[in-house]
Amino acid sequence: MKIKYLLLSGALVAIIACGYAWFQYNRSAPSANDMPVKETLTATELLSAFTTDEAAATTRYVGSTEQVIQVSGTIRSVDVAGDSLTNVVLETGNDLAGVVCEFTGGNAGKTWKPGDAATIRGICTGLLMDVVLVRCVAVE
Amino acid sequence: MRIACTRYKPKNMNTLKTISLALALVPAMLSAQERFATRTGHIAFFSETSMENIEGNNRKVTSVFDATTGAIEFAALIKAFEFEKALMQEHFNENYMESNTFPKATFKGKLTGVGEDEMKKEGNYTVTVAGDLTIHGVTKPITAKGTLTVDAAGQVKATSEFLVNPEDHGIKIPSVVRSNIAESIKVIVKLDYAKM
Repeated sequence: MKIKYLLLSGALVAIIACGYAWFQYNRSAPSANDMPVKETLTATELLSAFTTDEAAATTRYVGSTEQVIQVSGTIRSVDVAGDSLTNVVLETGNDLAGVVCEFTGGNAGKTWKPGDAATIRGICTGLLMDVVLVRCVAVE
Repeated sequence: MRIACTRYKPKNMNTLKTISLALALVPAMLSAQERFATRTGHIAFFSETSMENIEGNNRKVTSVFDATTGAIEFAALIKAFEFEKALMQEHFNENYMESNTFPKATFKGKLTGVGEDEMKKEGNYTVTVAGDLTIHGVTKPITAKGTLTVDAAGQVKATSEFLVNPEDHGIKIPSVVRSNIAESIKVIVKLDYAKM
């Protein structure tokens, strides 16, 4: 009876472990809406932080693991690149650099146009010509 | 500008002529440079093995191409690569690319096979790109074939496909998962340029 109980318990643990491993293996990256907001600031402040001290800004806004930041600003451009990708660029006061927010899967949602005010959450990935945010969602 | 001119007193007229000539040449020099750039280039990589296929996509690649000199550069943020599965993305950043330490991949090189005059005509041109590819903090020379397309509107698109061996760039792959990752990773670069 005791052996049967142990075998059943072992099988149960193995099933749970396999299920957990399967879930971990197949889980997709979470939406920015499902993660806590680490920092809230304007697009101008974000670019300024990166151009002043890129290493410090990377540590703070990109982080060692994925984190969400919330950025607000005026829209400079909206570029629909195919069915599932929209790039929204926020003004920063610097004509040569902006904050680029990538929306996928129709998440841009709104009918934004240049000059509109916008608040966006996304995963900050760092600075190239612009500060780049991916997996963005619009904040209502 | 008027204030500056009135305050500035050149030592002689030759100096003034030299400055005027230099200023007059600036627009001509700028127009002679045919530069193209993109902020939304696409790099995809593929690892195909019998165990599993891994694909990463980065659609925020920046690149500048100077058609006058053939100089071409691109840069990509490692954390901007996206995967179908979160676990692949985490392993890619934390275990292999160590993106906190090496946040960018870059390429600097030269594109040959198309002349400046051809760039002004519509067509598909087979080109060769050679230069230095830096991944994971390790720079290696690379040469790859590619295609440059100039459309009727003068828009320029560049594509190239090449192989990268992770070990060449100091990327260590544990033996326990070595069979899950291809020895050579196929990289596809697509750059849709706009004139600067």
